[in-house]
Amino acid sequence: MPALRTEAVTAGYGRSPIIHDISVTAELRSVTTIIGPNGAGKSTFAKTLVGILKPMSGRIFVGDTETTKLPGHEIPRRGLVYVPQNDNVFKRMSVRENLEVGGFVSKADPSERIDELFQIFPDLAKAKDKKAGFLSGGQQNLLAIARALMAKPTVIVLDEPTAGLSPAYTSVVWEQIERISQLDTAALVVEQNVERALKHSNYVHIFVAGRSHVHGPAEEIAALDLPSIFLGRSVADQPA
Amino acid sequence: MLYYVFTLVFFLFDYFILAMGLNIQYGATGILNFAYIGFVAVGAYMTGVAGMPSNITGQHYILGLGLPFPLNTLFGGLSAMAMAVIVALITLRRLRTDYLAIVLISLSLVLYDFCNNFVPLFNGADGLYNVPAPLTKALGLNVNSFIVVFACVTGVVALILWFVMARVTNAPLGRSLRAIRDDSTVAGALGKDVFRMQLKSMLIGSFYAGIGGGLLIQFGGSFNPTAWLPGETFVVFAVLIVGGAGNNIGMFVGALLVETLLIHLPAFLPEIPGHPGLIEYIDSALVGIVLMVMLWTRPQGIVPERVRRAVTFGVPDRPEIDARELGSAEVLGAPVAAATEGAK
Repeated sequence: MPALRTEAVTAGYGRSPIIHDISVTAELRSVTTIIGPNGAGKSTFAKTLVGILKPMSGRIFVGDTETTKLPGHEIPRRGLVYVPQNDNVFKRMSVRENLEVGGFVSKADPSERIDELFQIFPDLAKAKDKKAGFLSGGQQNLLAIARALMAKPTVIVLDEPTAGLSPAYTSVVWEQIERISQLDTAALVVEQNVERALKHSNYVHIFVAGRSHVHGPAEEIAALDLPSIFLGRSVADQPA
Repeated sequence: MLYYVFTLVFFLFDYFILAMGLNIQYGATGILNFAYIGFVAVGAYMTGVAGMPSNITGQHYILGLGLPFPLNTLFGGLSAMAMAVIVALITLRRLRTDYLAIVLISLSLVLYDFCNNFVPLFNGADGLYNVPAPLTKALGLNVNSFIVVFACVTGVVALILWFVMARVTNAPLGRSLRAIRDDSTVAGALGKDVFRMQLKSMLIGSFYAGIGGGLLIQFGGSFNPTAWLPGETFVVFAVLIVGGAGNNIGMFVGALLVETLLIHLPAFLPEIPGHPGLIEYIDSALVGIVLMVMLWTRPQGIVPERVRRAVTFGVPDRPEIDARELGSAEVLGAPVAAATEGAK
């Protein structure tokens, strides 16, 4: 059973749908990435998964639990957590407090988990008493990922986790995402950087104009003429 | 002289209580409650009508329970909390930031007009007067000694409420409120029920507002709509901004500087020759100037919010960790060296 499954999800803002009939699955121990041009509905889809937006139609399952109609704050308790794009940390709180907030859904003492995460993210251990707003952009993104991992999720949804980062930090973040996915977690990543996405993902969806235009294993997607797909051409139009 | 000093002491502690209430709402949770003075008024009126007997002639008001101190004050605090539930249900579910602030200030104006014009509620524009001064009969106090004793009682109440507030803001609840203040969307995505948390913050803050209002009406013996013009909310905001939003000690410092020294102390100063009555109006200008200077030069306030250094959980409290020291350690089934490779 996939860790995350959506069935023909349509969602948007107000009465205007932005994404249409999106069906996506994400398996445990794999990285599923959604790429596409600006305005394709990638972030809208991520927000729909985590309950910030409610689907107009379709269904969402985390494991065998349907989360379609659950309020947003209930969804992390079902195993799905979200790392938003940019401004994704509590800037006036310390690094450690940020992590403690992430452990809210777990009834266990957060100390052991924080210990584990500080060893995975040594940069955060060094800065544990700093205000999160004083961290670099890359460190803030790592903190947001670490905070999401506090809940020991089965699915982690990351919205453009490398946006605005240097190439060096982009590599660090992607390597961490790959590692996280191996910890009995499904990673679903919304990404603008196509090259990185194809390099680090197992499965890729290309969103164009609010629809999952093409999807498949990363190596098969890499063989396609992506620029023309981004411009809206179908796979059938691809040169042989 | 004693009368002047203890009047200032009363206002210091009363505004310390009021500022702590606003601090948990705005400083800790980010709720821009421009109707705060309305909750103070509800606390004051309800304390008044809970303490007054039902048979005072010449005044029209509800209840008249004749409750003794501190039960009447507690009643005022709980009434302000009940008001907070109604206001929160109207506003917090759908509104944020400036929209929330606009609706709250509008609600405050509606409440003000209602109390001002609906005489059977709290005696309309005349307000309540001859509110019994607590403890006078029991302790045999006269007018002057009442001021001294009641200022001290207010100080004790303020210290108890400060102790409770410190416990709340340092507890996981306080951490959750600060997370919502920093980013309510992210907090919600991490499993926080944002509305419920904001409601808790509103309830706690409103209780403090009600208690502060209750003490105010008993100290002065009267309360009418001129005491809670909507602009009064901004005096409490000035206390909070000058003291340092998010820090309870800052609220004491803010109350000392703004409410005590800038607003009430000038009233006791001698008149400026040739300008009778001028000094009475100078306080508002002083508060405005101080507020602007603070926002320009030190927006975090005199006593800024501190970064909470939580207890060390298992991880050694060392300043730096060299990733190479962790090279062979297995963390969650994967070698750390692989994870840190990219960072080098």
